[in-house]
Amino acid sequence: MADQSDVWLVVPVYNEAQVIADVVRNALETFPNIVCVDDGSRDGSADAIRGSGAHLVQHPVNLGQGAAIQTGVEYARSQPGAEYFVTFDADGQHQVADVVRMLERLRAEPVDIIVGTRFKGDASHIPLIKRVVLKTVVAISPRLRKLKLSDAHNGLRVFNKKVADELRITLNGMGHASQIVDMISQRGWRVTEEQVEILYTEYSMSKGQSLINGVNILFDTALKTGSKR
Amino acid sequence: MLIQFLLIGAVVVLLVFFLRHHGTTKTAAGVKIGFALFLVLAAVAVLRPTDVSKLAEFVGVGRGTDLVLYGLVVAFGFATINTYLRFKELELRYARLARAIALRNAEAPKHDADLGLDAADVEDPAHSA
Repeated sequence: MADQSDVWLVVPVYNEAQVIADVVRNALETFPNIVCVDDGSRDGSADAIRGSGAHLVQHPVNLGQGAAIQTGVEYARSQPGAEYFVTFDADGQHQVADVVRMLERLRAEPVDIIVGTRFKGDASHIPLIKRVVLKTVVAISPRLRKLKLSDAHNGLRVFNKKVADELRITLNGMGHASQIVDMISQRGWRVTEEQVEILYTEYSMSKGQSLINGVNILFDTALKTGSKR
Repeated sequence: MLIQFLLIGAVVVLLVFFLRHHGTTKTAAGVKIGFALFLVLAAVAVLRPTDVSKLAEFVGVGRGTDLVLYGLVVAFGFATINTYLRFKELELRYARLARAIALRNAEAPKHDADLGLDAADVEDPAHSA
């Protein structure tokens, strides 16, 4: 297997004490560098991370997933030798094999960022209502269509140093996914997507963002011009 | 009716203005001027209600009170947006502060020395944990 020591996995963690150690251990078999950003969890996630072999960066208070990703990327990009970055969910729904495949493409192809998508192959395992909502988001967003992205809210992304250096997520909450899409189009990052598999376990379903949160995302996105500085 | 144009116009102009220029000194001054004007108008409305009624008739609203109410609704809307944007900005600063603290206190795993160099070694400490 290729040497992955120039790769950093960024894992935002919020109240995932049950599973985070296993997720990290599993990923460590392939990727030696993992930074977990504990976003002010109250369930002992930090202790679970400490014993797992990942780097731990701890927000003193809960800020939101977008802020956690930004913190993790800032930490990772300051590490010597860091060339490739991966955002990876803490609840175990992403597959290491998908990341390896995405990295191979990122190393070989002239792209800056590869976004995971659930919709390139057979999408029938995705819960119907989720599928409808995610597809609607894509249908009403001209930007996504222009970039030929089919799944903006996939948490699995792989990108290079250029993107990591320029990344500035200002939406602390869940609006960061759309903000990353905005940055892709504004800063001209070369983007492509890769079919990935999401494991909808009972655990990840209970933790996953509820669809009603989509309202918050829309609102934040519509008004975010206010904090663009 | 004239009032409809005035109200909708006010809403649109203020919204665009706020979203475009939020956070600059100019806007901050604008907000203060707006507030001062609002106070003056409030005083006028109290002292000379008939003038307000005349104005109301002129723009096509029945009574002066109605005009004041409409104005209040618009003012409230903008106060809300202003507060919302300010909160967002505070939140962002707060996030940066928290991030700086987090990065300063970052903890590398204890077997740090091997980590970057040899992927095979990392299994060890992971299992002993």
